[in-house]
Amino acid sequence: MDGSVLMASLGSRPGALQTALAGAEPYTDAEVMLRVKAGDESAFDYLVQKYRRPLVSFMYRMARNSAVAEDLAQEVFLRVYRSRQTYEASAKFTTWLYRIATNLAVNHARDTRKERPEVTVSLDEPDEETGTTMDVRDASMTVEESMVRRERLAAIRGKVEALPERQRLAVIMHKYQQMDYKQIAEVLKLSESATKSLLFRAYESLREQLKEFI
Amino acid sequence: MKCEEIREMMPDLASGMAKVTPEIKGHLAGCGACSGKLEEFRKTMALLEEWQAPEPSPYFDVRLRARLREEVAKPQAGWMGWFRRPVLAAAMTVLMAIGVGMVFSNGDGIYRHGDNVVADNDVSSQAEPGTAVGDLSALDKNHDLYSDFELLDDLQVQQNVSANP
Ligand SMILES: [Zn+2]
Repeated sequence: MDGSVLMASLGSRPGALQTALAGAEPYTDAEVMLRVKAGDESAFDYLVQKYRRPLVSFMYRMARNSAVAEDLAQEVFLRVYRSRQTYEASAKFTTWLYRIATNLAVNHARDTRKERPEVTVSLDEPDEETGTTMDVRDASMTVEESMVRRERLAAIRGKVEALPERQRLAVIMHKYQQMDYKQIAEVLKLSESATKSLLFRAYESLREQLKEFI
Repeated sequence: MKCEEIREMMPDLASGMAKVTPEIKGHLAGCGACSGKLEEFRKTMALLEEWQAPEPSPYFDVRLRARLREEVAKPQAGWMGWFRRPVLAAAMTVLMAIGVGMVFSNGDGIYRHGDNVVADNDVSSQAEPGTAVGDLSALDKNHDLYSDFELLDDLQVQQNVSANP
């Protein structure tokens, strides 16, 4: 990663990390995190730049609202920052990061479920979160086509959301975060074979429930 | 190679994360059930692709920086944090010189401070320690997560202390 991009994007002071990144030595995220622990703020900026997008998308699919997703993703970074002193490089950085994220997302889902017992995907209400109503319909589409597409999208979201909690987490990490079995297993603290069967069941039930769209 | 082994790999095969080895290819060529299932999985995953997530807003970094600044400016939780602040430490010393009773009668100020810290930190205060990891059994033994709530534990202990001086 280019140090100048980093500095331009977050306006951070040039730090030891930029100097280090200019060299050929690749740093693992765990090593970068150890620099955060040592007080290098540019190292923290680097992690924010790297994981901001994946975390927002993870949170978006868990929370279904882009403002809440951003808030939760920021909370993940705040917790990373807060726990910098106790960070141990024993676990892979992304595993640690996604555990924090998973914990926050699950808590958020439970809290909001209590508030709104029936979370349903409505086709009538415009979708404030994705702006789906805006971008679902492109100029080449007829009204019917865009309606069909909207219905399909609502079904996808609704069915993923309706999966049991762990299946849902596993699918979101696998399908949308491109995480492999091993990583998902580590985040969810499951064995690899349990993760494989969890994912198989999840996709199998999505396939079954979404077959009219396939 | 058994059908069961292929099934295990199905999500990774369908997503392209696992390579189709000659051995797998051989099985798929001779097994309609597995090759059919793989095709359906591929279609399911392609359908899921339609659900796109938004990009982080342009204000993401600005907001995060503001929250971090708040975090850094926030007085340290716990009694020791107070004593490390020179002005407050001096004030406390004066109060103590006057008498321990005075400290308690001025306890209101300390109390209110404790509340503010919790209020500033609303997202984590929703996540009570203990219920934070809750009944998601997968995360039950997650020490890393618990360590994230150390600050919160600290605050709550502090609250209890000031609530019952
Ligand atoms: Zn087979």
